[in-house]
Amino acid sequence: MATIVQHLIKRFWCKPKCLLLLLLLPLHLFAQKKDTTKNLKEVNVSTSSIPKVQTVTPSQSISSNDFDRYNALTVADAIRDFAGVNIKDYGGIGGFKTVSVRGFGANHTAILYDGIEINDAENGQIDLSKLNLNGVQQVTLYNAQPDDILAAARSFASASVIAIKTIQPNLTANKPYQILAGMNAGSFGLINPYLQWEQRISNTWSFAINSYLENANGHYKFKNTNDGSDTLQTRTNTDVSDQQVDGALYWAKNDSNKFNLHINYYNSDRGLPGAVIDYNPYSDERLWNKNIFLQSGYEHTWNNGLKLLLNTKLSQENIRYLDNDAPGDLIIDDRYNQREFYQSAALAYHLTSNWEASYATDVSFSSLGANAYEYAYPTRFTLLNVLVSKLTLQKWLFEGNLLDTYVTEQVKAGKPTAAKSVLSPTLMATFQPFKSPDILLRAFYKDIFREPTLDEQYYFALNGVSRNVKPEFAKQYDLGFTYRKALNDFLDYITFTADGYYNTITNKIVAIPNQNPVISSIINLGNVRMEGTDAALKTQTQTFDGWRGVLSINYTYQYAIDVTNPGDSYYRDQIPYTPKNIFALNTGVDYNHIGLYYNQLLSSSRYFLSNSDHANYIDGYGVSDLSLIYKFQIDKLPAVISGHINNLFDESYEVVRSFPMPGRSFILSFQITI
Amino acid sequence: MKNLKLSTLFTAVALLFILASCHKDKNVTPVVTPVTDGFYTLNQGLQNDDNSSLSFYSYTTKQPISDIFLSANGRGVGDTGNDIEIYGSKMYIVVNVSSTIEVVDPNTAKSIKQIKMFTGTVAREPRDIAFYKGNAYVTSYDGTVAVIDTATLAITQNITVGSYPEQLTVANGKIYVANSGGLNYPNYDNTVSVIDPTTATVTKTLTVVINPQDITADANGNVYVLSAGNYGTIPSSLAIIDDNTDVVKSQANFDAGVFTVVGSNAYFITNEGGVGVYNTTTQAITKSNFISDGTAITTPFTITADATSGEVFVSDAKNYTSNGSVYVFDKTGKLEYSTTVGVNPGKIALLKK
Repeated sequence: MATIVQHLIKRFWCKPKCLLLLLLLPLHLFAQKKDTTKNLKEVNVSTSSIPKVQTVTPSQSISSNDFDRYNALTVADAIRDFAGVNIKDYGGIGGFKTVSVRGFGANHTAILYDGIEINDAENGQIDLSKLNLNGVQQVTLYNAQPDDILAAARSFASASVIAIKTIQPNLTANKPYQILAGMNAGSFGLINPYLQWEQRISNTWSFAINSYLENANGHYKFKNTNDGSDTLQTRTNTDVSDQQVDGALYWAKNDSNKFNLHINYYNSDRGLPGAVIDYNPYSDERLWNKNIFLQSGYEHTWNNGLKLLLNTKLSQENIRYLDNDAPGDLIIDDRYNQREFYQSAALAYHLTSNWEASYATDVSFSSLGANAYEYAYPTRFTLLNVLVSKLTLQKWLFEGNLLDTYVTEQVKAGKPTAAKSVLSPTLMATFQPFKSPDILLRAFYKDIFREPTLDEQYYFALNGVSRNVKPEFAKQYDLGFTYRKALNDFLDYITFTADGYYNTITNKIVAIPNQNPVISSIINLGNVRMEGTDAALKTQTQTFDGWRGVLSINYTYQYAIDVTNPGDSYYRDQIPYTPKNIFALNTGVDYNHIGLYYNQLLSSSRYFLSNSDHANYIDGYGVSDLSLIYKFQIDKLPAVISGHINNLFDESYEVVRSFPMPGRSFILSFQITI
Repeated sequence: MKNLKLSTLFTAVALLFILASCHKDKNVTPVVTPVTDGFYTLNQGLQNDDNSSLSFYSYTTKQPISDIFLSANGRGVGDTGNDIEIYGSKMYIVVNVSSTIEVVDPNTAKSIKQIKMFTGTVAREPRDIAFYKGNAYVTSYDGTVAVIDTATLAITQNITVGSYPEQLTVANGKIYVANSGGLNYPNYDNTVSVIDPTTATVTKTLTVVINPQDITADANGNVYVLSAGNYGTIPSSLAIIDDNTDVVKSQANFDAGVFTVVGSNAYFITNEGGVGVYNTTTQAITKSNFISDGTAITTPFTITADATSGEVFVSDAKNYTSNGSVYVFDKTGKLEYSTTVGVNPGKIALLKK
């Protein structure tokens, strides 16, 4: 019988129709062999998808299968609900969005893209609305530093870290490719098609290309409460047109020998609506961005347990800002270009079975050019060295690291900042108080700083003035616990984490206007004290007859006050843009292939300037979003269609003074996997 | 059990729906408080924050009102109010970035008219105002002086002057305008435009040191022009113009950032933050350090005086981002009292009974 089958295969192997015939033959024909193979009945092995919360330092994560539930299109949307996170949102599709974690400014948070920092030496603040989630597998926020001790030294050099991990192809010889095509469209005239192509080249090589186009007019109506108007006004000059292509090449001999290479190109052209100026609604400012970077990572693990991690990055950024409406004959046409070369090498080794150590060194050169008057054209050289040690002793885990930062600069005009070296220690510990590993106590102390940006040191530092701005120091003390439990009755799992913290900022970098209205003096003046709590609860029910419920609640309490000088009128007042309480809830139900989710964000009031008085008060707000997701198949190809309503109750609010947020808006998404 | 838990979830969600939908409706109902006897402080606020405000200090109640414009009108002054003057029965507030002129009742701050200063959709950005024979003259960053009839409050003419004009003053039947060119850094302007109000044309252009900003006149035929220089190699300098011949009769280095004539004295703030007095008859500095009791002012911002009582008013901008103060000194330089005002108190107007 077998020989007949073999004969049929030989004659008809290239004819699909006949292959179908072959498949229709009863299975037992193939099974008639003389050896003892047996077809086992398929058993589905599944664990509860309990999120990982027992990290040494507090961490919160969101993965790509949850992006839809939160209607997240950019990194800013993905982390919006996290505890301790306060997004400074300038409103609209193209609106600038920066993140403040635990009261620290945006400069204190490092953004890592597959382990390598997205750096902006010019102004230190990364616009999270430009980081699209297309091709992203997971976004994790770590307070202090990420868990893995085999990492670039830069991972240890910020008060908080947001780690973005891209999707790695997981293809087989049977299915060597995957194409994801989709489109988001809706309010603001948004049209956003995207395409992802993953391709397996061989056993060890594969590549992935992610690309998207985004066009929107960005218009939305808003209410101005300051100028006494009754009618709604419209935000104009808000158009956005951007494109991005990311090509990644992967090589993996096995799990202990892998390499990846990314080439990424981003281009955007957008109108800047600017602040809403009472009685003056016109704006004609534009912004162009062109970024390109090349980064690669290589990881190797030897048989003796020694691990090596190499990272390289080359990047170039061009920015052009144009203001056509500047008064008089002035035409403001500012152009900047930034280049960076970065190389990192890290080694990790298990000295004993319970003691692991690592050493990493990072070198980077950043150069900045601008068409500003008598610009300095600075180049900054940064050398980071970090020694990390992780020791496990029964119920205890201790981790410590010592980071040395050396920064020196060179300029083409004017005076460079003096070279400096700073040592930053970190100590972390976790303790399992009970027999059950479900409860873990943790604490950490981190002493770190943020380097003044190149703008702070050099922009309009004229007449041979050397600003010599010192680093802004951030000390963090944290104490918390995590509880996780995989359950088997009504709930699938429950996780709860709570951390209390005390942070201080000294030498806070502040810009003071000069006599000359065009330039400003930058000085280190300011001490801030922060106390707060971050709490996060996540739970999910089991699936009953196809029904499942999910719930995630995050709560942030921040008491951050200025303690610079008792003589100041704002001494011990809450620092600007820091609401005392933020509450975020995401809940939903899914039934088989349909899911309905509701997101609620509540923020208490805050002040936009140092004095906590009526004149500087910005009202608290609540924003609700609703998402409906339907998974189905088109010709056996998985497809998803989803509808999202943002700001369901059309709440009129602003996060940043003079930058009102959009009212109710809609997005419809469609995606198919080939 | 399962059903109970689901219903609790739904009730919780429903509660949140209700919570989320209640939000306060902010409607400021205007309340008019008549005032007499006191002084107004126009606070610039910070550019783009729409937080320019008008403080009032009453000599009778000895109490400050933090934003009398907002309480009287139910709306804010706007963004970066730069000048405030009282003329006749009206008070004029020149709001630079909002590009408006608010004409209000000096005793209530209630709006009479809001004049919008635009050329199509381009803001003209008015800076300073002066008055002569029933007309108001307003400098704007678009390089013009607008002539406004104070009875109809309509713009009747526009006169082209130099680049980025700042202050202007009236002397001997003429209008003198300081053209700073300041925003065109480092290409400053260095001229003073002399306007004949009857023909509404520039009759003469005088040359002074670069970046002239403050311009003020005395009763002795002198027009003083304070140039800021380039904040580096070219220091601040004072030019004195003879308002009969329209000739610059002197130009010399002068350490000041603000210079204004009230009565027979000129009051100035030095570049180091000191307060001085200059006599316009003797043409000499009579007090290089006016404050006699050691009162420390962090960042003196604007200065004016009451010609009758000799009191001197100096505002303090502190760190430019928090509430400022106004210090009131008697004519010997001794502090009488101080009061809290808004952010960047840039101009003071005295309200007489």
